[in-house]
Amino acid sequence: MNRKFLALLPLLAFILVCVFLYQGLFANPRELQTGRIGHTMPAFNLPDLMQDNKRWQQADLEGEVYILNVWGTWCPTCLAELGYLTKLREQGVKIVGLYYVQSYDADFDGAFDMAALREEVSSMLSRAGDPYQFNILDLERTLALDLGVSGAPETFLVDRKGTILLHHTGDINPRVWRAKFAPIMQELQP
Amino acid sequence: MKYFLISLVLLISFAVSAEQDRYEFANDEQAQRFGELTKELRCPKCQNQNIADSDAVVAKDLRDKVLTLVQEGKSKDEVIDYMIDRYGYFVHYDPPVTPATLVLWVFPVLIVIFGLGFIVIRQRKAAVKQTWDEQDEALLAKLIAQNQRQEQS
Repeated sequence: MNRKFLALLPLLAFILVCVFLYQGLFANPRELQTGRIGHTMPAFNLPDLMQDNKRWQQADLEGEVYILNVWGTWCPTCLAELGYLTKLREQGVKIVGLYYVQSYDADFDGAFDMAALREEVSSMLSRAGDPYQFNILDLERTLALDLGVSGAPETFLVDRKGTILLHHTGDINPRVWRAKFAPIMQELQP
Repeated sequence: MKYFLISLVLLISFAVSAEQDRYEFANDEQAQRFGELTKELRCPKCQNQNIADSDAVVAKDLRDKVLTLVQEGKSKDEVIDYMIDRYGYFVHYDPPVTPATLVLWVFPVLIVIFGLGFIVIRQRKAAVKQTWDEQDEALLAKLIAQNQRQEQS
């Protein structure tokens, strides 16, 4: 009995390793980045993307459930999700854009070409759909860093009190919306 | 041999120049802390690189943030906590002991204990003293003789 068991041990270990590695194939390493869930939105004071002299603060966003979508015109996946996000806006979801500037570096680039960026943004939004109530411009990615954003697109779900309930890395599509966002939205807005 | 030595010297000098810092610190201790932190913190975008290694935008942002925090005189733990607050435990290459990660620490120890136990048990079995008396000696002699006869025939 003991002998047989010992002989089977390598096979058992092999099967265990197989199971472990197999489920690793389906694990998404990007799911782990959840540093800010359960915290309130970090304080910020940032300009509007489209209007001069308009600034947004954390308090301006409180009182309503909203989706904060980190995006940029340089990001193909963001372009791909614009259509579906626009549909969601039509269903009454409040979506705020956090514009993530990828290439700008104050140490090297000098003055930022705001006009060019605005033109690029409005041409893209008029082609692909505009889901945003407004866009916050995060030129130096300070709010992005405070939110634990590692790139674009990333999406947050924030409740009335400003608590971050969800942090999704990657695009928003019907499947992701149904699985992750819709159940929480339903709870918040019955 | 001469060329070998020359190329070796060249290689070493390259490695040294690559280590040179382009940041400025108030003292050596801060420079060292910055070096340690950027090697220990993981880039959230390119996940198998630390932020010192990675060229991703977010890695550069984190590097700059670590630099600012270190220059402000924050301790190593404070900087790590700052990053964990934002990017989760994931951002640090040294995971904390939690129920979910406990297996990482316990499993290797278990394996070693199991292996040692296995060896000890085998040793004990092999070390059991065997009896050997005249009767056995006679039996052995008989068997040898038998075997020899068979080979001859």
